[in-house]
Amino acid sequence: MLSFTRRTLLALSASAAIATALPAAAADDIVIGGSIPLTGVFAFAGVGIEAGMQDYIKIVNEAGGLQGRKLRLAYEDTGYKVDASVAAFNKLTSQNTIHLYYGDSTGFAKTINGELDRMGTTIMAGASFATELNDPKAFQYQFMAGPDYSEMTGILLEYIAKEKPGARIVLVNSDTEFGRDPIAATKARASELGLEVVEEIITPPTAVDVSTEVLKLRRARPDYTIFHGYVLAPLPEFMTQAKQLGLETKFMGTFWSMDASIWSKVGEAADGFMGVMPYRYYYDEADNAPMLDRIREMRPEYQSTPYMQGFLTAMLFTEAAKRTLEAGQELNAPNLKAALNSIENFDTGGIIGVPISIPGNSIPVGRIYRYDASAQQMLPASDWISVQE
Amino acid sequence: MSDLLFFFEVTLAGLGSGALLSLTALAFVLIYKATRVINLAVGEMLMLGGYLFFAFAAGFGLPAWAAIPLAIAGGGLVGAVVERGLIRPMLGESPIAVFMVTIGLGSILVGLVELIWGTDPRALPAFMGNTPIFIGEAYVSRKIAIAFAVAAVVIAVFLVLFRYWRGGVALRATATDQAAAYSCGINVPGVFSLAWVIGCGTAAGAGVLLGSIGGISPAMGVFGLSALVVVIVGGLDSVAGALVGGLVIGLIEAWAGTYLGGEFKLVTTFGLLLVALMIRPYGLFGTTEIERL
Repeated sequence: MLSFTRRTLLALSASAAIATALPAAAADDIVIGGSIPLTGVFAFAGVGIEAGMQDYIKIVNEAGGLQGRKLRLAYEDTGYKVDASVAAFNKLTSQNTIHLYYGDSTGFAKTINGELDRMGTTIMAGASFATELNDPKAFQYQFMAGPDYSEMTGILLEYIAKEKPGARIVLVNSDTEFGRDPIAATKARASELGLEVVEEIITPPTAVDVSTEVLKLRRARPDYTIFHGYVLAPLPEFMTQAKQLGLETKFMGTFWSMDASIWSKVGEAADGFMGVMPYRYYYDEADNAPMLDRIREMRPEYQSTPYMQGFLTAMLFTEAAKRTLEAGQELNAPNLKAALNSIENFDTGGIIGVPISIPGNSIPVGRIYRYDASAQQMLPASDWISVQE
Repeated sequence: MSDLLFFFEVTLAGLGSGALLSLTALAFVLIYKATRVINLAVGEMLMLGGYLFFAFAAGFGLPAWAAIPLAIAGGGLVGAVVERGLIRPMLGESPIAVFMVTIGLGSILVGLVELIWGTDPRALPAFMGNTPIFIGEAYVSRKIAIAFAVAAVVIAVFLVLFRYWRGGVALRATATDQAAAYSCGINVPGVFSLAWVIGCGTAAGAGVLLGSIGGISPAMGVFGLSALVVVIVGGLDSVAGALVGGLVIGLIEAWAGTYLGGEFKLVTTFGLLLVALMIRPYGLFGTTEIERL
């Protein structure tokens, strides 16, 4: 006779609950895979990225999907560790047919590149804007939904050169692959634009206290200080101490330190911080930005800059798949990448303020925003700047 | 600005950040001294302290003078719970097993903080003021100066307590010989709890200081690793060693960072660790006793 213990019954009911909670997956779904950091040092970004991708997928599915096929995101948490990202990639690609993949780090993008080349079925984008990945030969099936880190600092330098020709600049970078990425290119571009890099400060990845670095900054007396390789710490402390010392330098950052909600918690010290943003902010007022309106309709509360990144990445994935399907081609890496590269003067619905083209692996446009502590918002400080060659 | 003044300023900054290291190292030392447990979750306790202060000061809107003691008490309470719930049942197990428990504890604390407060890095409400401090002509960051003063006072208090207070003497007695301490009527389990409460409270306090300088995030516990270097150099069971070790490493990091470049800070620190391990594996001030794991 079949007999159940209470424990078995509990287990059975729990698994039944889980099974019914999962949305039904159809066999012809177009699956976007993802190694997404929902825990660990980069979790703040992963949470936003996942939400942004899910929202765009929802918008597409509500409009009927791609040629009747639904989009679906299949992802795993990686804790921002390369081995976990690779494990997630292997697991997800063996369980689903995946042609589009979101990777979480430069390390992962480099590690999995050989596998992407070998498979030839999948294109990948992700959270990394590493300059190295912006090479359509070496990374033929990858792209990034924005400018690479060198292009980001290039946009900052264009702005500086216009605002204050011949300005003195200090570069502050974290001692990581991420932090060191754009140093050489920034110095080269600065000298082309007639700007002077007067000091380079490297901080250890775990740096909290920056008093000695601030002393160096005071000696250098720069007009602009460009940070790269950080999310938040130790930027506020740098800025507070510099203000205490009466330094006039203007502080700037790149995409991953540009989220307004993070700066709003810093308060007064954050006022005046500037940086390069490839996307509009959640609250930007703009004509012809139906996607921003749609996002605000779906989510009444502020959404972070990683959300915008995830949203746009999902949009570009979808556009590549759409173009491939419309051309009657098979969904594979060469076709998808060719379709992606055919994107020209594409309207992102206002996520990026100008029409975009993706001739290579990046979208080299951005805009300078400045944090206004009284409004608790990042406000535009320049027009859209393109560094497309 | 003269080079000498610059050197003096760098030195002061190094001493200040060294004091922060000393304070965190103290949390390792207090627990190890009494219980012979290397608590690798000190970094995470420090993070929790920062978040508790954030909750009391920003969440409940309490003033700093109330939020700081509450954060420290909260850290101590967690220490007590951990000692009773996780560490005491491990009594008599191999040191490596207890060591692993504290690593697991660190992961749990990070997970809890991420669940409760989310994953965004945050800034703590400012409570230290903004007026810069000048010693003569030399600039010292106000927060670093405060951190230095706090660390100096706390460490001095502990040195006095260990020498003259009954609880401190009981703690030293337990550290020297558990069985003898038992036979003298010392409540050894009580001493263990006390060490964890004080150790975790200290870590939480260091977390408030550290968080007010660099902001808080679930990943800020890595600072504990730098402090671990300090205790290995200074001696795992020496309060004075934590003080001296912290200041020495703070100074060397500041000088290396300034004159060699930021990328040499960690290299120099860990180079120093290697040298210390070769010459005095029990630390500059530690008890000469080598335990192989």
